[in-house]
Amino acid sequence: MMMKIAPPLDLSVCIGKLELKNPVIAASGTFGYGQEFENFMDLSQLGAIIPKGISLNPMQGNPPPRIFETNGGILNSIGLQNPGFQVFIKEKLPYLKKIKTNLIINFFGNTQKEYVELARRLDSLEGISGLEMNISCPNVKCGGEIFGSDPRVTYRLVSAVRKSSELPFIVKLSPNVTDISAIARSSEEGGADAVSLVNTFKAMAINIHTRRPELGNVTGGLSGPAIKPIALRMVWEVSQAVKIPVIGIGGIMKAEDAIEFILAGASAIQIGTANLINPKTGIEVISGIKKYLLQTGVNRVQDIIGLFKK
Amino acid sequence: MAIQTDGIVIRNRKIKSNYFLLEIDCPSIANETKPGQFVMLRTSENNHPLLRRPFSIYKSYSTLHPRKGKRGHLFILYKKAGKGTQKMSTFKEGQKVNLIGPLGNGFILPPLPSPAATILIGGGVGMASLSALGGTSGLGELYVFIGGKTKNDILCENDFPKGKVFIATEDGSRGQKGTVVELFLSEIKRFDRDRPHHVYICGPVGMVKSLSNVIKSKKWIVQVSLEARMGCGFGACWGCVVKTKDAEMAYRRVCKDGPVFPLSEIVWE
Repeated sequence: MMMKIAPPLDLSVCIGKLELKNPVIAASGTFGYGQEFENFMDLSQLGAIIPKGISLNPMQGNPPPRIFETNGGILNSIGLQNPGFQVFIKEKLPYLKKIKTNLIINFFGNTQKEYVELARRLDSLEGISGLEMNISCPNVKCGGEIFGSDPRVTYRLVSAVRKSSELPFIVKLSPNVTDISAIARSSEEGGADAVSLVNTFKAMAINIHTRRPELGNVTGGLSGPAIKPIALRMVWEVSQAVKIPVIGIGGIMKAEDAIEFILAGASAIQIGTANLINPKTGIEVISGIKKYLLQTGVNRVQDIIGLFKK
Repeated sequence: MAIQTDGIVIRNRKIKSNYFLLEIDCPSIANETKPGQFVMLRTSENNHPLLRRPFSIYKSYSTLHPRKGKRGHLFILYKKAGKGTQKMSTFKEGQKVNLIGPLGNGFILPPLPSPAATILIGGGVGMASLSALGGTSGLGELYVFIGGKTKNDILCENDFPKGKVFIATEDGSRGQKGTVVELFLSEIKRFDRDRPHHVYICGPVGMVKSLSNVIKSKKWIVQVSLEARMGCGFGACWGCVVKTKDAEMAYRRVCKDGPVFPLSEIVWE
């Protein structure tokens, strides 16, 4: 009797015109500039890497303490500390470019002009596969979230940035809004190729003994397993509201979590907080997804995107 | 080079009140570490608590196992205080623990020839990394100042056979009554201000801060190992920063750029 040979598993997914070899992406802000993880894993196995976000000019970040653990979650108020575009391309980009996977650059600005200028400069560089625009950081006063909470402001910013870059263009959304689907639709109308969600939830903790906030910035962003069910619901809602691909983010610790997001409608997922705890999480999630496909007799991960039935 | 690996618990025992000593078989880290470095230890596999916890490497040594060959043990001195250390105190012999390490820069040892004197000042579990340092050679005359709230918080006093050990407790139950900073001040005349003594400090922020006000001699080379809440421990998250005098980037990572810094570099806020 002839053995039936199963076709090889196909983990590839598409984010607009950007093809990833698998749907697992290292999330910005939790993966340093890639190099911090080289001792722990083969970086090229990831579907894409998104290094820590950059701005036109250096940012010094928020005063410490910047991190505090809560039940099942982490509060952070890093404040987008980064050395700025010039230092980034000189000191960080050469290493990142050499990794044999997609490099997506996360960027942000204080004004629309800064966003546009940075996108224009990034567009002219080689070795970059795509852009992820942060309009959702809860930890900085200007920039960040202000652009991600009013659909008209989002639309204006996205369409302006769209005109200044040809690169695949992802908009990273904030969950701290009344209607995240409306912001996602504005991003789509503005010309984004995809949306990624969610960034952290604005949150806080108080030390009852000192009667002071646990974070130097008073409030911070909550991430980790605690936010996963809310993030999942948002990814599900947004994936029904827009036609562009959705990238799921929020408390993914293991393959099962990632698969939930994919079933909910995510074309790819990002690993964030888990990178800090187990730097190999991304690799383990990839092999867990493979195992799931084998067990369920599905060959292509694309075939399970949004397969979730009400 | 820091790696992520499993170690095996050899022993985990209470040494006094809330202080425990954990011995782990983990050759790939134990045989690579230097004084002042640390490990990130995962206290739970089910994410409660979520983050790893940083611990100074107290001691480490290589051993030869009859069957397993070259082994290496590392020791962690910890105080049962929060959720993570609570969990650690239940670790059993033979249990696997996941570690990342060795991490951080470690202390810079005095250059040869040995300095006139090396001074170690520490409090609580901060003594762990100073003990690792105190065991190295080339320190010259060794003076050790140990502080704690009570006699139960005085650690590592027997780790310095070649050193002169001074003890202070805040309640006066051991040694001089008062803080270790006051104790050091009362002995400071022993040390010539104009000779290049090497001073190493590790302990709570309050202690370090007041020492930075006390040590004025510009000739002394003072290194401090800082404690901080950490996210990753290997430089990725920028959660554990301390403000420094660095003009280009004031906030430096305790985990990666430290934990040891020249005391004069720190900006106290």
